[in-house]
Amino acid sequence: MLFMEQLIGFFGSKEMDAFIAQWGLLLNGAFVSLQIFVLTLLFSLPLGLFVALGRMSAKKWLSKPLEIYILIMRGTPLLLQIMFIYFAPYYIFGKSYYGRFAAVIIAFSINYAAYFAEIYRGGIESIPHGQYEAASVLGFTKFQAFTRIILPQVIKRIIPAVGNEVITLVKDTALANIIGVSELFRVTKNETNRTATVTAFFYAGIIYLALNWIVTKILNSLEKKFGYYK
Amino acid sequence: MQIIEVEGLCKSYGENTILSDFSFKVNEGEVIAVIGPSGSGKSTVLRCLSLLEKIDKGKITVGGKVMVKTSKDGKAEYAPEKELKKIKLRLGMVFQNFNLFPHFTALRNITEAPVHVLGIPYKEAEDTAMELLNKIGLSEKVNSYPCQLSGGESQRVAIARALAMNPDILLFDEPTSALDPELTGEVLKVMRNLAAENMTMVVVTHEMGFARDVADRVIFMEKGKIIEEGSSENIFTNPANERTRAFIRGFYGQE
Repeated sequence: MLFMEQLIGFFGSKEMDAFIAQWGLLLNGAFVSLQIFVLTLLFSLPLGLFVALGRMSAKKWLSKPLEIYILIMRGTPLLLQIMFIYFAPYYIFGKSYYGRFAAVIIAFSINYAAYFAEIYRGGIESIPHGQYEAASVLGFTKFQAFTRIILPQVIKRIIPAVGNEVITLVKDTALANIIGVSELFRVTKNETNRTATVTAFFYAGIIYLALNWIVTKILNSLEKKFGYYK
Repeated sequence: MQIIEVEGLCKSYGENTILSDFSFKVNEGEVIAVIGPSGSGKSTVLRCLSLLEKIDKGKITVGGKVMVKTSKDGKAEYAPEKELKKIKLRLGMVFQNFNLFPHFTALRNITEAPVHVLGIPYKEAEDTAMELLNKIGLSEKVNSYPCQLSGGESQRVAIARALAMNPDILLFDEPTSALDPELTGEVLKVMRNLAAENMTMVVVTHEMGFARDVADRVIFMEKGKIIEEGSSENIFTNPANERTRAFIRGFYGQE
């Protein structure tokens, strides 16, 4: 009964206004996180495919630099990469060419493209050679064989691995706070400082989890969509 | 009329010689069975014909068009890309492992190349595909995916897929070797029907029954060379060469 009285008392109170205001701020931050997430996928998924194809090329001048690019992207912290992309132009050329948000999108895109490239490569190499041979004998051009025969099969095989990265990306967006982009994590930190309580951290956790719950649902339905054959 | 002419074909992988000075001819409407122990280069002959392997030396003519010849410096010189594609399309190929496209239905496996390679309108390609499926007795499997087909059904669809391109010659690379024994019959039946329709076929096979009954001519190969060649009757009942005799005796000894 005490709980019910407290709950009824909460409505219309100052506490409720503060609660709503805080959630408003956090959701604004989450919206920025979501923008980073969507834009990164938009750029890194296609970019990764080109990196993978170049990396698999027999031409050393193409494959070797891409191998080094992948090594650097996977071998150094994304946090440092974000800072490098944002600060390097200023220190090298004496001026900045883009803002914080753009720097984050560039850093995330080239970082995730490296991971996606290796996933694509694994997928492409897992397709039996007979598929290329059948396509060749039937007269398909190399481009047709890749887009019509190979790639659709690759996509099905890599959904679980790509899904892992996509889910990690949702949480990685928090790294953008290092150069002061007001995404969910930065907003949350500000709130905990302002209110001198840690409840905002708890709410942030709920929001990240909710986002990944949606992402997981989408991934599952994608997997199902491609599950019509073995 | 000769439809395929191979002269002095040489093919090796590094030190390993697969075919040396290999020559043979295929007449229009003829069914040729190529037999021999594994590793004798039987499949490589077909793979060179279908351009899956590049030859080192020699001359291949298909339907009167030179696909590849030895140039003055002794290396293989292929026809220009455009010409090559035209020649290639006269040949259809059926693989040991079917190599059907798993993400397409049986129907689309058959229509995809006619539509996107030959530019045939989809409706027309679909009609042809339905006719072919009917012919191989798989009308009810139109919308099945390869994973829902048995090995024998898969191979029959693969044959239909090759036929849909309307080739002059069909090459079979051990078409029944990956099948359970009870499923080889249905595939061989389709091939017998094709032979009866005067389809030109080169069949690399371990099916001695098929070679004996259906082939007009049998070629026995060993170590990249033709040891003996002749009518199926001669090869099976009265082989001239000791090794041919031993190989055929070995087969029937096992059975």
